[in-house]
Amino acid sequence: MTKALSWARVKSPWLIHFNTGGCNGCDIELVAALTPRFDVERFGILLEGSPRHADILAVTGPVTLQVKDRLLRIYEQMPEPKYVVAIGTCAVSGAPFKDCYNVYGGVDKVLPVDVYIPGCPPKPEAIIDGIVKLIQKIKGEESRG
Amino acid sequence: MTEHLLTLALRVLIYPGALFLIFLAFLYEWVDRKFLARVQNRYGPLYTGPSGILQPFADFLKLLSKEDIIPAAADRLLFNLTPIAYSTLPLVALLVIPIDGGEAVLAFDGDLIFVMFLLTLIVVTVFLAGLGSMSRFSIIGGVRAALQMLGYEIPMGLALIGPAVAAGSLSITDIVRWQSTGLRWLILLQPLGFAILVCCMLAELEYVPFDIPEAETEIVAGWRTEFSGRKLALIRLGKDLEVVLASALLASLYLGGAQPLYSLPGSITFLIKTVLVVLLFTFLRGVFARFRIDQMVSGMWRYMVPLAILQVILVEFGVGR
Ligand code: SF4
Repeated sequence: MTKALSWARVKSPWLIHFNTGGCNGCDIELVAALTPRFDVERFGILLEGSPRHADILAVTGPVTLQVKDRLLRIYEQMPEPKYVVAIGTCAVSGAPFKDCYNVYGGVDKVLPVDVYIPGCPPKPEAIIDGIVKLIQKIKGEESRG
Repeated sequence: MTEHLLTLALRVLIYPGALFLIFLAFLYEWVDRKFLARVQNRYGPLYTGPSGILQPFADFLKLLSKEDIIPAAADRLLFNLTPIAYSTLPLVALLVIPIDGGEAVLAFDGDLIFVMFLLTLIVVTVFLAGLGSMSRFSIIGGVRAALQMLGYEIPMGLALIGPAVAAGSLSITDIVRWQSTGLRWLILLQPLGFAILVCCMLAELEYVPFDIPEAETEIVAGWRTEFSGRKLALIRLGKDLEVVLASALLASLYLGGAQPLYSLPGSITFLIKTVLVVLLFTFLRGVFARFRIDQMVSGMWRYMVPLAILQVILVEFGVGR
């Protein structure tokens, strides 16, 4: 039974995409990963509109003072088990906006991040690779626990 | 007597009842997603089972195992009951449609009216689900679903009546039987009615030109925004069953339903026809874009209703029966 559940979890990761204040470069690349050329639905990945439906929170951009509460709220609205992916150098560390007066820094300042995907912006291939790494991580967790 | 009850129970629960229909629901979701992907020049689910055929099942299982959140503001009773109702209503409606060649499991005189009633009840459930979630997106979605129903319900009823008038019976089993004597498929006799029913079923299923109640680019996920975990799993299952119901209805009323053809048994022809209808739905939803709600309702009243009435008048005067 647990085996079937972990199989199902690995085979159907659904994403929700949230931009915390990036420049939109990463968003375009993330959307490009859904287009026919890369087609992540092959792995069962779907982009969902509602945080209640999603398993993976894909964050792009640095966390600004304004968006922090909203980001936390979206995270809390997601049902367990949930994972966070930081896409782009901004989300990883804050990058060009690092010491801005209105920026906290990377996503890991406020949320537990599972996978970091660096790049400014990362290629769709890199995003897919990152999500596949996350899937492997989920798999490892399931087989251990 | 007990033997009779036992066969009835088997027919309701296993074949051609609940278990078989749920299997069909998952299968058709896969057909739909795969074909939609091909229409859009993609591959669709590929690695979950052979060609991704287990993808809908994996999604269902995953959702079952997820946390089930009930928002603090939600109406607990409505929020808990509507997913169950939404997934069982199409199942009940499917029991009056003949699937394996002979009679339907629960066939009775007037079951066409019963199906129409259940189709409306499904939309009422959707409305209550939106209302019960008490979130702004859900409420807008639910209201849009109800509003949309005002548009397509009348032409749908008229398009369902056409075959009944032609066959002189309100029982779906009888309509199928009437068509199988001499291969009088109603799609050939009443093509207008078929086209209208396809449009109305797209609206009933909330498929793309009419996916206004769950428009994810405008209102997150519409009336199902707040549902998570096993409730969402039930809602997705209900949606898949609704697809089976819509295709079964179209196949039975207009394409001759589960009739033996050449050497093929009735159940096989039924499967072929319903898959063809599902492919038609998918193709239409692949090539269209979403209407606005006012365009949808006024378009339905302006064009669909007169056309549907014209079809019924034609049938009354003996054209197409
Ligand atoms: S990482 Fe680069 S592309 Fe992405 S949001 Fe930041 S600045 Fe823009």
